[in-house]
Amino acid sequence: MSMTRVHDKVREYDVFARKARIDPLHHVGRVVAPDDGAAMAYARATYDEERWIEMIIVPREAVITLWAPGEE
Amino acid sequence: MKENPADLVLSLADCKQLLGMRYAEWCSATPTLEADIAAAAMGLDDLGHSRVLYGCLSELGADPRGPERESDPASYRNVAFLDDPWLDWSQFVAANAVLDSAFTLLIENLVEGEVEVLRSRLRKMVTEERYHFLHGRSWLNEASAREPIERAWREAVEFFGPEGGDLRRRLAERLEQPEPDLKIDWKKWDPVRRRTQPGAIDARTFDMLRGLEEKRYMVAGERSG
Repeated sequence: MSMTRVHDKVREYDVFARKARIDPLHHVGRVVAPDDGAAMAYARATYDEERWIEMIIVPREAVITLWAPGEE
Repeated sequence: MKENPADLVLSLADCKQLLGMRYAEWCSATPTLEADIAAAAMGLDDLGHSRVLYGCLSELGADPRGPERESDPASYRNVAFLDDPWLDWSQFVAANAVLDSAFTLLIENLVEGEVEVLRSRLRKMVTEERYHFLHGRSWLNEASAREPIERAWREAVEFFGPEGGDLRRRLAERLEQPEPDLKIDWKKWDPVRRRTQPGAIDARTFDMLRGLEEKRYMVAGERSG
């Protein structure tokens, strides 16, 4: 079953977080939202179970891939 | 006359408790999975905020809560928008964007005010409410909700009270929308409940607030206790 979305246009955002200053940010998941504000609200609602000291989101379209699995 | 902070704190606590419950009622019924999760998270936030606000009452002098809260649903000081479960997503959006933001403006005033217990205990709420606002504003731009938004605005203005001009201006600024054209009959305004409309919480919600709804699920021997 596919989920019907009411938004005409949505963007994907990757969510990164860390628990301590000495830790690197690491990928904890992703959210889909119509704008940055909703993406922030969804990231916080979905991934706030742990005691992160920092959380950021990045629009997937801003990511530049150098190489990926299966590519030369 | 200067308002007793305990009265405002109780009004906010009642509103946030009801708002949290109404959000929770929608946590599997919103248009998207992400909004379902946000509804659950915001519901938990607001129920937590209400507990903190109720907890402040004992340090603000005489507690305004009386025994009538066990028998009279109209003794709760919530806005009328929260009296009954919402039947349409547009009502959720209007409450999330307009009413939740209105409550936050009042909490910000308390955080910046002179009462130390409120300055210290309510600060975290303002941080959490930022995400409620972002969610509400996004859906406000998305959903068609003119009628419930106008109603939410009216009840926010009534909640601010007849001297709430500065709060009304700040709410419009925050929502980046002008206040609708509202004609409020302040002669009907109840200064305790901060509303003009009569009415009260629906019976089932009132039972839940008093813990009676949960008793339905207890085994027979535990019910009398």
